[in-house]
Amino acid sequence: MTRPATWQRDMRGWWRRDPAFRRYLLREATSVAIGGYALMLLAGLGCLAAGPAPWQSWQGLVMSPIGLLLQALVFAAAVIHSVSWFRLMPLTVPPVGRPGRRLGDTAISSAAWVASAVCSLALLGWLVYGA
Amino acid sequence: MTDGDAIRLDVLRWHPDRPAAPWWQSYEVPYRADSTLLEALQTIKDALDGTLTFRWSCRMAICGSCGCMVNGRPELSCHLLLRDLAPGPVRLEPLAHFPVIRDLVIDQQDFLEKLPAVGAYLVPAADAEAAPDTPSRQTPAQMAEYYQYAQCINCLLCYSACPQYGLKPDFLGPAALALMARHDADSRDTGGSARKAARDAESGVWDCTLVGHCTEVCPQGVDPARAINRNKTASARDYVFDLLMPGRRR
Ligand code: SF4
Ligand code: FES
Repeated sequence: MTRPATWQRDMRGWWRRDPAFRRYLLREATSVAIGGYALMLLAGLGCLAAGPAPWQSWQGLVMSPIGLLLQALVFAAAVIHSVSWFRLMPLTVPPVGRPGRRLGDTAISSAAWVASAVCSLALLGWLVYGA
Repeated sequence: MTDGDAIRLDVLRWHPDRPAAPWWQSYEVPYRADSTLLEALQTIKDALDGTLTFRWSCRMAICGSCGCMVNGRPELSCHLLLRDLAPGPVRLEPLAHFPVIRDLVIDQQDFLEKLPAVGAYLVPAADAEAAPDTPSRQTPAQMAEYYQYAQCINCLLCYSACPQYGLKPDFLGPAALALMARHDADSRDTGGSARKAARDAESGVWDCTLVGHCTEVCPQGVDPARAINRNKTASARDYVFDLLMPGRRR
């Protein structure tokens, strides 16, 4: 079968077409910030292994105004990341429970928030009291 | 507003006999408090410019024919009141990510070919097939499992909301994958294993990056983003079990 003649717009600058697309890109970009933070911690570990002098200069870098600003940005990115993904989480979880008595979206998101709060508090407790 | 107001519609037009480039054309259309955007297009066609081309049928948001981009967002033109778009101007374009045949009419061929590819039809069990006149029983709870996905009217708004479909035309896309999930979730269906190859392919669920806009624009509350992303979990689970237990029955 012959197809009719058509015209089609290309995808250049597609993210400018809808605020929803920019929100999506922001959500995805937050993982880059979090990856960067993980690399920074890894570098700290390397410096610690290398000896007291590199460790101290790494600490100096982390506590410098630029270092603190970057960490504040990473923290903001982590908040956006967690909020957006916990909100989307029910979409990715296969139905839980039997037909007619399925676990609701709020229960799934809340469970994720509770789990993350417990883990964060446990880590904080360990850092403050345990180590 | 008062009856007798007019609103400006800016329409992106393209005709095959003027193929070089699309062009914008503006129309000043009178409207009443209960006029829909589709009625404005019909007013243009009847009274102002008979060459303007668009699709419609039911004019009550159930046939899925009248989709177009309204101020950049995919919408059913029969489902929008002009008074909500006032004072305008209203920007009208053909549905994004599809080839345009003429003005607001797009070519749905790609979607029509993807529907059979996802097995969007019920495959009854052998005994049900053998006795076609006996009813297939289903409880309300079993029906609730797929009912939402079964509300799709094939309007394709979700494809226009999906940048991944625009970037990767092979992607089966939101509605087709929601209809795959619709049949998988039906207690009368036995066709699940035959749908898995399409589901697990790159062009199946894995081309989706959960932009999620499909679910936001769907006029029927189908939630294709949920159908696709739950199937990603199922696809990953099958992959792992296949590695651990080669030759297992799916
Ligand atoms: S899933 Fe919703 S937006 Fe997509 S074709 Fe079906 S009814 Fe339209
Ligand atoms: S004319 Fe049928 S959905 Fe709009």
